[in-house]
Amino acid sequence: MGEVLVLVDAADGSVKKVTTELLTLAQSLGEPSAVWIGPGYTDAAGATLGEFGAQKVYVADSADYINHPVAPKAEVLSKLVADQSPIAVLIGSSPEGKEVAARLAVRTNSGIITDAIGIAPDLTATQSIFGGATVVQSKVSAGTPIITVRPNSTAPVANAGAATRVDVSVELSAAAKSATITNRAAAVKGGRPELTEAAIVVSGGRGVGAAEGFGVIEDLADSLGAAVGASRAATDAGYYPHAFQVGQTGKTVSPQLYIANGISGAIQHRAGMQTSKLIVAVNKDAEAPMFELADFGVVGDLFTVVPQLTEEIKKRKG
Amino acid sequence: MKIAVCVKQVPDSWAEKKLRDGDSLLDRDSVEAVLNELDEYAIEEALQITEAQGGGEVVIVTMGPERAGEAVRKALSMGADSGIHLVDASLAGSDAAGTSYALAKLLEGRGFDLIMFGSESTDARMSVVPSMVAERLGLPQLTFANKVEVSGGTVTIDRVGDYGIETISAATPAVLGMIERSNEPRYPSFKGIMAAKKKPVETVSAADAGIDAGAVGTSGSWSQVNSFAARPPKAAGVVVQDEGAGGVAIAEFLDAQKVL
Amino acid sequence: MDVLVMIVAAIVTVIAVGLFARTVVGFVRQFKVGKSINRTDKPALRTLTLLKEVFLATRLKQKPVGPIVAVSHLIVLIAFGVLFFTLVTAYGQLINPDFALPLIGHWPAFSYLIEIMSWLMVLAILILIAVRVARRPNPQQPRKSRFFGSTMWQAYYVEFTILAIGIFVLALRAAEYARGSVQGEEFIHSNFPLTGWIGENWTGLSLETLATLILLLAFGKILVSMAWFVTVAMTPTMGVAWHRFLAFFNVWFQRNANGKPALGQLEPIRYDGVALDFEKLDDFPDDIALGVTAMTDFSWKALLDFSTCTECGRCQSQCPAWNTEKPLSPKLLTIAMRNHAHAISPWMTATEEERAHLDPALIELAEKPLVGEDGVITDDILWSCTTCGACVNQCPVDIAHIDHIVDIRRSQVLVLSEFPTELNGLFKNVENKGNPWGMNASGRNDWISEVDFDVKVFGMDGEDTIPEDIDYLFWVGCAGAYEDRAKRTTKNVAELMNIAGVSFMVLGEGETCTGDPARRAGNEFLFQMQAAQNIEVLNEIKATKIVVTCPHCLNALKREYPQLGGNYEVVHHTELLNDLVKAGRLTPVNKIDQTVTYHDPCYLGRHNQVYNPPRELISATADSFVEMDRNRDKSFCCGAGGARMWMEEKLGTRINQTRGDEAIATGAKRIAVGCPFCSVMLNDAVNTRQQEPGRALGVEVVDVSTLLLDAAKS
Repeated sequence: MGEVLVLVDAADGSVKKVTTELLTLAQSLGEPSAVWIGPGYTDAAGATLGEFGAQKVYVADSADYINHPVAPKAEVLSKLVADQSPIAVLIGSSPEGKEVAARLAVRTNSGIITDAIGIAPDLTATQSIFGGATVVQSKVSAGTPIITVRPNSTAPVANAGAATRVDVSVELSAAAKSATITNRAAAVKGGRPELTEAAIVVSGGRGVGAAEGFGVIEDLADSLGAAVGASRAATDAGYYPHAFQVGQTGKTVSPQLYIANGISGAIQHRAGMQTSKLIVAVNKDAEAPMFELADFGVVGDLFTVVPQLTEEIKKRKG
Repeated sequence: MKIAVCVKQVPDSWAEKKLRDGDSLLDRDSVEAVLNELDEYAIEEALQITEAQGGGEVVIVTMGPERAGEAVRKALSMGADSGIHLVDASLAGSDAAGTSYALAKLLEGRGFDLIMFGSESTDARMSVVPSMVAERLGLPQLTFANKVEVSGGTVTIDRVGDYGIETISAATPAVLGMIERSNEPRYPSFKGIMAAKKKPVETVSAADAGIDAGAVGTSGSWSQVNSFAARPPKAAGVVVQDEGAGGVAIAEFLDAQKVL
Repeated sequence: MDVLVMIVAAIVTVIAVGLFARTVVGFVRQFKVGKSINRTDKPALRTLTLLKEVFLATRLKQKPVGPIVAVSHLIVLIAFGVLFFTLVTAYGQLINPDFALPLIGHWPAFSYLIEIMSWLMVLAILILIAVRVARRPNPQQPRKSRFFGSTMWQAYYVEFTILAIGIFVLALRAAEYARGSVQGEEFIHSNFPLTGWIGENWTGLSLETLATLILLLAFGKILVSMAWFVTVAMTPTMGVAWHRFLAFFNVWFQRNANGKPALGQLEPIRYDGVALDFEKLDDFPDDIALGVTAMTDFSWKALLDFSTCTECGRCQSQCPAWNTEKPLSPKLLTIAMRNHAHAISPWMTATEEERAHLDPALIELAEKPLVGEDGVITDDILWSCTTCGACVNQCPVDIAHIDHIVDIRRSQVLVLSEFPTELNGLFKNVENKGNPWGMNASGRNDWISEVDFDVKVFGMDGEDTIPEDIDYLFWVGCAGAYEDRAKRTTKNVAELMNIAGVSFMVLGEGETCTGDPARRAGNEFLFQMQAAQNIEVLNEIKATKIVVTCPHCLNALKREYPQLGGNYEVVHHTELLNDLVKAGRLTPVNKIDQTVTYHDPCYLGRHNQVYNPPRELISATADSFVEMDRNRDKSFCCGAGGARMWMEEKLGTRINQTRGDEAIATGAKRIAVGCPFCSVMLNDAVNTRQQEPGRALGVEVVDVSTLLLDAAKS
């Protein structure tokens, strides 16, 4: 069985869920090996990696590797590819993950596939492109397949691996050290994501009825880690600040999930959110045009439906 | 300061896009082609940098068929100074690796202090080309910037990283990538549109740029599409009447869609 | 004393006339700096229009100010001319107390005229003063006054001068009577019908005393008159005085020789007086000035407009922006432009070479931008305009506010790239997608699948021109294709035409935005691109008769496309449907048993004078019809015009709410509209009120066609 390298995505020493997903995928392709780059590796992290099948954990824990953006990770991986000849390298499809993959592909003269949502045992990757309109099967035809995989593409399955620590050290090139990270500011805890960049947007419209009504919208947003938006009717009525308006005269958003509460779905609103991947609508009026756009809709009072949904999400998220 | 802004002509972001049956490439003829809107942030930033410095040169660089020249003109109408258009039949169908190789060949030796990009193209959405170009040219990579400061030969950015904001500096020459909302791209004034017609655009062939034809195009591609299928048109959504469990129904739906 | 008085009078007169003449020359020189524009077509008709507007007070008698002020103004206007003779007489009386004009001086008819006019003038000016005092800004709600921002002392000064002149004339006549009476003159019995009774009180005075009285009164009259001339000459920005002279020219040179307000189509963008065709882009000089960036970019007519403004504030009282606490008042904008023009007039009229040697403070002032925080007007003022046309329709001296506002917007968009960010989306969507919302062209025919009869789409049967048997090309419009309520209107109209046997065809994906919102937002380039594309299609398929449901499409197709070579017979659906009802081809069988009110869309009403067809349709379909307070050409905008539909309304109260509340207050259950944008705006307003307990219960905003369809179907 060939070795499959999985770049570990971790924050504050704890392994991210996407890494356990990648390890799970790697199990189906070959022998998973995790690659930890940067300081802060702990036994607990090793245990998590082992739990999802990592046989080896390559640890390159010099702070040098994270004091410069992107390139050091690509150089560490590149050395591992050269030394270990893995059958594939899997990286999470975060913005930085894709950049690491990009540099690695160039360094190793390898083909790259980004944003895969599945990988078959023969390393054929499945991608969903054009906003989900087309599903593509593609395969890398040169070098070591480097594939970035979208989070939530597969459910993590535990399958104990040895997680043997193998220390790695790479002399970084001058180019890799040419840009230096001088400061890091963690994303503000508890703050909601930027409206235009949020993966999930929870919006309220005229149906919210009053500024106080937005409390239930915000609660739902917070339970999902979502941004809060509002229709023009709601911002005009003063229920919510103008800066959060989604629509023709406000922001244009394209999140993975858009939950429209008490929004009729006038064209001026649709113009700002119609490219959302998944749309859920809650409205008292069964005739609301928003239902035509919605993947899932509930005709009902948002003040009963939304709090119930918030509770249910909290419950499911544990 | 001499700045190159690499731009791409893409199918209108909202048009329905599809792949061609024969070669599994994007069918670009059937849809309106526009300047990749995410590139406008890079153009705007480049213009602001030169404006703030009271001088400099902004060169729009593109690779693409003949009509990609329209995207260059559009960018020039925003205020850039000149264009370089790499056009060659052998380049058609290049993947990201091929594209980055061709761009690197085109850009090297031209003395650019900054090579700028948008965060991704709205058609391929890979956001890998800027990193690849940085790797190929051995230049510092300053990407996903939402704030840029240029002082002397040093560029400092605020990078919107996966886990927060990172402040990164590097000496020029460097590769600089801008994200959306880093600025507000200007609407080309009519004066700009007029002036753009007369701005020089250098047309370069693959051979001119010293590009090895074997490393680009469909044949030089390191990955290939085996098959594709249009996802069945979005089925009409499900709408249910709330009978006391509407919230739970939504949660179940979201769970089934794996968004929780 | 006589000699001294004569010398003083002569000196004062020479100074006054000299200063006045100098200022007149200054006006002419300033206007000549303005860009050329042809306003001399149909001179006879223009003269007729001038006479009508002056003597029939056609503009002035409009509500809400009304006929009393119009008549008073007319009296003063005429008296001012007639009583010029009394000024001449006064000069004569300085030399000889018994002076009378040769030939007519003792002619009874002339005397009657002078006396009647003098009394009437005194009465009229007292009325006008009373109106001004009563309507003056009160400290609690100063903006409610149409005089807010007008220079009150100037108006009072002019009015009290007129009052004083009137009193002097009457007193002089009384003294003449007394002196004639003492001298036993015969003519006094037939020449002093309205002043003799005053003079009778002075017959006890000696001839010398009366001579001195006449001398002093004549001197006083001359001084008051000359003081006025001096004041006016020293204050070229005194519109309330200068309109006395300039208004005649401004009315004569107005946009339409027939006196129709400068509404409907906008003036094309001009360069060196010639309308620009953006198709010939390559021939344009590099430094082409588009729109109005500086005062010197205005046409001479615009400069004349500014100087003519009388500060009466009728525009202000009608303006939807002003009435909802926005910073824009058409009057204040005009005043600001006028004051700035005169402040920099020496710079404007100087050659490039001379300008360099001017006072640095003046040069700095001349370089002040027209728009911006430190500009002559702010951005908020410029962009608050809905181009509803209420101001243009009201203006008694035919100022074309909208043309000037749009001309400034043109420069902001095309030259300076300074405009509200929301418009970015509008421009990009229209440019790239052919509609303001950025919807896909393929959605233009979606409504067709929602009706249960056949709709012919052009080109489906391979035709390359519109077949002979097609009565109308149905121009659906972007709203009509994409916006839910407007889509309902589209379906209604199609169904009604189908029922009535009117054959029609639609263009489907061949349609694209007419460019109206781009043009109102100042993006003439984008407008012309859209218009050129549409005209090419329409001319190619030989479209002749077009029916539209959107007044903005109507205005573009009918009024603006002729400027670019597209000439079509265009009707609004309310016109067509009304004709069909009248012809018996559609019969409302079930009258709606509700009260209906109607909101006039600006671009259907004021801009295109379609007031009656929708009303007749409503009367034919509903039991009772009630007007809002502000209706027809006094209708209050919904807030969406002038591309405001695509901008945020962040200042003041909301225009649509103000209008919606007015509609709700009629008690009508249905608020009928004839425009997709009015529909959106009023719906929003009504929905807002419906959320408040007990307000606007069961009130619905509907297109007129919905009423007809409801009534025609049983």
